[in-house]
Amino acid sequence: MSSPKGKEKISQPRSPHHPPIGKKPKIKNLKGTVSRIWSYMETDRWLFRLVILFVIVSSLLSLLGPYFIGLAVDVMTGAADSFGFGQILLILAVVFVLQSVTLALQNYWMIDIAQHTVFLMRKELFGHVLNLPVLYFQKSKSGDLMSRLTNDIENVSRTLNTAVIQLTTSILTLVGTLVVMFWLSPLLTWMTITIVPIMFFGMKWITKRTGKYFKEQQKELGEMNGFLEETISGHSMVKLFHQEHRVLDQYEKHNKQLRDAGYWAQVYSGFIPKLMNSLNNFSFAIIVGIGGWIVLSTNATAISIGVIVTFTTYARQFTRPLNDLANQFNIILSAVAGAERVFDILDVQKEEAKNDKKQLENLYGDVVFEDVSFAYNKDEKVLDKISFHAAPGQTVALVGPTGAGKTTIISLLTRFYEEQSGNIYVDGNNMKQIANQSIREHLGIVLQDAYLFDTTIRENIRYGKLDATDEEVENAAQMANAHSFIEQLPDKYDTLLEGNGHGISQGQRQLISIARAMLRNPSILILDEATSSIDTITEIKITDALNRLMEGKTSFIIAHRLNTIEEADLILVLKEGKIIERGNHHSLLQQKGFYANLVETQTAREA
Amino acid sequence: MRNLWKYVNVYKKAMAVALLLMIVELIVELVQPVIMSKIIDDGITAGDMETIYIYGGWLMILTVIAFIAGISSSFYASHVSQGVGYDLRKSMFYRIQMFSAMKMENDVTQIQGLLFGLMRIMLRAPLFIIFGIIMSFTINVPLATILLTTLPILFVIMFFLMIRGMKLFQSVQEKIDHVNQIIRENLLAIKLVKAFHRITFENKRFSKVNDSLKDQNKKALWIMEIVMPIVMLIMNFAMIALLWFGSVQLEMNNAQAGEVVAIINYATKMLASFGVFSFLLMSVTRGRASAKRVNEVLLEDIDDTVKESEQRNKIAGAIEFNQVSFQYPNMDQEILHQINVTVKPGEKIGILGETGSGKTTLLHLIPYLYHATSGTIYIDGKRVDDWGNKVRHDITLVPQEGFLFSGTIKENIAWGNEHLSDNEIENVAKEAQLDAFIQTLPNKYDTLIGQRGVNLSGGQKQRLSIARALADNPSILLLDDSTSALDATTEKHVLEAIRRRKCTTLIVSQKISSVIDADQIIVLEEGKIKGTGTHDKLVKSLPLYQKMWQSQRKEGVLIDE
Repeated sequence: MSSPKGKEKISQPRSPHHPPIGKKPKIKNLKGTVSRIWSYMETDRWLFRLVILFVIVSSLLSLLGPYFIGLAVDVMTGAADSFGFGQILLILAVVFVLQSVTLALQNYWMIDIAQHTVFLMRKELFGHVLNLPVLYFQKSKSGDLMSRLTNDIENVSRTLNTAVIQLTTSILTLVGTLVVMFWLSPLLTWMTITIVPIMFFGMKWITKRTGKYFKEQQKELGEMNGFLEETISGHSMVKLFHQEHRVLDQYEKHNKQLRDAGYWAQVYSGFIPKLMNSLNNFSFAIIVGIGGWIVLSTNATAISIGVIVTFTTYARQFTRPLNDLANQFNIILSAVAGAERVFDILDVQKEEAKNDKKQLENLYGDVVFEDVSFAYNKDEKVLDKISFHAAPGQTVALVGPTGAGKTTIISLLTRFYEEQSGNIYVDGNNMKQIANQSIREHLGIVLQDAYLFDTTIRENIRYGKLDATDEEVENAAQMANAHSFIEQLPDKYDTLLEGNGHGISQGQRQLISIARAMLRNPSILILDEATSSIDTITEIKITDALNRLMEGKTSFIIAHRLNTIEEADLILVLKEGKIIERGNHHSLLQQKGFYANLVETQTAREA
Repeated sequence: MRNLWKYVNVYKKAMAVALLLMIVELIVELVQPVIMSKIIDDGITAGDMETIYIYGGWLMILTVIAFIAGISSSFYASHVSQGVGYDLRKSMFYRIQMFSAMKMENDVTQIQGLLFGLMRIMLRAPLFIIFGIIMSFTINVPLATILLTTLPILFVIMFFLMIRGMKLFQSVQEKIDHVNQIIRENLLAIKLVKAFHRITFENKRFSKVNDSLKDQNKKALWIMEIVMPIVMLIMNFAMIALLWFGSVQLEMNNAQAGEVVAIINYATKMLASFGVFSFLLMSVTRGRASAKRVNEVLLEDIDDTVKESEQRNKIAGAIEFNQVSFQYPNMDQEILHQINVTVKPGEKIGILGETGSGKTTLLHLIPYLYHATSGTIYIDGKRVDDWGNKVRHDITLVPQEGFLFSGTIKENIAWGNEHLSDNEIENVAKEAQLDAFIQTLPNKYDTLIGQRGVNLSGGQKQRLSIARALADNPSILLLDDSTSALDATTEKHVLEAIRRRKCTTLIVSQKISSVIDADQIIVLEEGKIKGTGTHDKLVKSLPLYQKMWQSQRKEGVLIDE
């Protein structure tokens, strides 16, 4: 119940229900997106065509059933004698069996195709995202990215499973039923489709209102969620300042508004099935009443009891797709819009598109920066002509105020960013000519905010060297001063870490991430020192472990503490993207510049 | 579930009306085939136009009645489901500490959907089937018997498919969660994944869960989709049997054509009713999981809320810990062990110790945020348990990470105290060394901060939190490492301002320099007090303290960000 430490809040705005009709999804390129989805079905295409064929067959069969039932009634009552009664029943049996079989098969295959397609999309997308440049992640909101990777893909999956078949079936049934109805009795058909305009205007009246209220409901939901999130993350503040009542009142207000908007949205959307039902009843009345009247008054040449029976079923088959079509179409459009958002990510260039770069077998750790500049956007240079040389095994400390460019230098070394002008050489090779992956293989990194995966401590350390034995893992932990605290945990190395290492302290997290780097045994080491929230004792352990880790490696440190800096071979003092002073501790003190000043205020504070 | 039912029960009248209206609708639909058979047998076959007019008219009237009933039921059903949702949210809000907002919202919506659907669609299908069978029996017993015999077969098949389907859908949900978790992890740790070049490794890991999601999904969906073809086949064969048997009955003059037609019509409509079962399967699976989670929250104990202030006197600020121990419910180890501390009103106390030594927990015990496992804490000589939440009126805690609410700076500072004048707000901002910064902002104290406004740095957030705490004019002020992000000079000024306040102050810190002039410094290690005293005393007597002092003096925190 301590104050929430984890800053990463990835909200998953799931929309739990689509408003049945209403907002139209925005689509930039329908044809392009659909053909792109189609391209994932490459191996399944013949199967997909077969599915469509089966949809056509099953739709036709669904027309034959009611027709033959009507005919059977006519034969029974003696109104027709073109077939024998037994024959008709046999035909019906065949029709029904075929109908169920084709339905089952088309669904089975479509599920197969859809799930395979989505599997491929997920796979490609995930792989692509991992290969995107780090800058991309800093520019886009993590919540949005998460939602594209999860919700949008889920949406495509759900839609492909059923909506394609449903839409095709709806259209075919609608057209087919209408044709057969006209063929059977134009007069009765005209009487039946009088309900279409009523339905049209009725639906328009309803959707105009549902659209409005759904939008309102969505807005209220959003506001309420925002309010909740804030209140929850600040709940101990609410208690401490005894503001429970005020927060409750505010919540009450949001809750009421949501209820009122939701009430009307639900009332009006509830009208839709009722309207459809009533129109069904209405057409039933028309067919039976008027049909009966026609049979009697026109000597029953065109219409028989059997036709009336057939029509009552057809009228049902005909109104249902009318109701569903708009809805199904909307579902498909929203899935296409989701797919489009997914493809947008796939269109972002990977950090290394080509694979023709040099691979490095060994690396000694000789690093040279030569007039290196970097800017996020043109007007603001973050680094301006940085030059320095670090010989193998040396330690370089980066010192300076926030925004001076320390982290950027490190990000260039890790190839998270690429320099815009100037050159960086490792062992005499220009970094631009070496594959990123090849550099990173020789790199160890300990970030200020150590990230731990939701797995055991053992696997977290092993992340540094995937084929390490348990013994190697424990040795690394020992070297990193992590062994003793791990041994005290109930499950030791097999302790499961959850929620980015929630439950162990930040210092302990740092120790694990040092062990991870230790196991990797890199040639170049990058450290972003963290101090502010770590207690002195743990800090001593960390310093000790880091010193051991840095032995014999070229190390770059964003330094906060004097003792690390004092021992560095090279100190670079950065300000506004430039190196303003360089040297070792003693030479810089003698310069009596920015650095000397910093040290002086620091020592003064101790006294 | 019974617990949730309580919430629905409040609306039982509206619910009864909604159900009644639905039944009216149902009856209309059930009567239609009967009227149809009358039109055919008494009208068409008998050649009686009069009968057709009368029954045709009845059909129309019934249609109108059904329409009115249907529309009205929408109002009542909506009232029930929105009302229940409102009530659920309201009572869940009291217990939200343990709960994530998004999830709660989603769960309530699921339950609402389930309720609305229950009243209007789901109950309708079984009711239609039952009443349809009964009506068929009134028309023609032998034919109705055929219809009746198919039902048990259908129900058994449906039952097994639904049970299997529910299980499968649950496991699909688990797989989806797993896939999402890996995605989230990779997004958060992208730098690490890249720096360690673990892209192939992560791809493989993802592929595995992706693949098993695909397989599980296929199975679950297949169950859903196989239901309809099977039901259709059985019902359609029942239809053939009806036709065949009907014609036999007709020849023997035991039945009329209209009767056969009416029963076939019932069969067709029943078939359509079965269509909602797959829908039912989905909603019940989702709704049940949601209901379970909501229920868990509803069963949580409520922290008794504060009654708005009766007349009260400000506390003086004396604190006493007597043999206080604390342990989290599910942990073996004690966080605090037999702590004894006495603090006089107005004293300044420093608390030092390693992470995990129990400093923060000790602070949280004072405003009764946590309750001691054993031992007693006295505030002004009265036990904290007797004070209850009232004790918080004069105690304020400033957490390490300053917390902002979306709103203006003014609103954020005055948050605990709505009657604060602009002048007073400015004064506390000055005390917290924040005024100078605020003056540089375009809208000064009316600048929006938080989610929709200006971003503040860690140090600014901390100073704002301190200003907020000072605005509350506490008798006891608890600072939980709340000056860690301030530079030395600013920190000194802030601490001086706090000292002038003359309230009892407890400062948890990592840096000895923050508490060096405290009246008492308490050094904690593994939940126990290692030493108490002034700086000068501790430096001489306590080795642990000496070690900390030496290393901090030597290192010095050079640049704080």
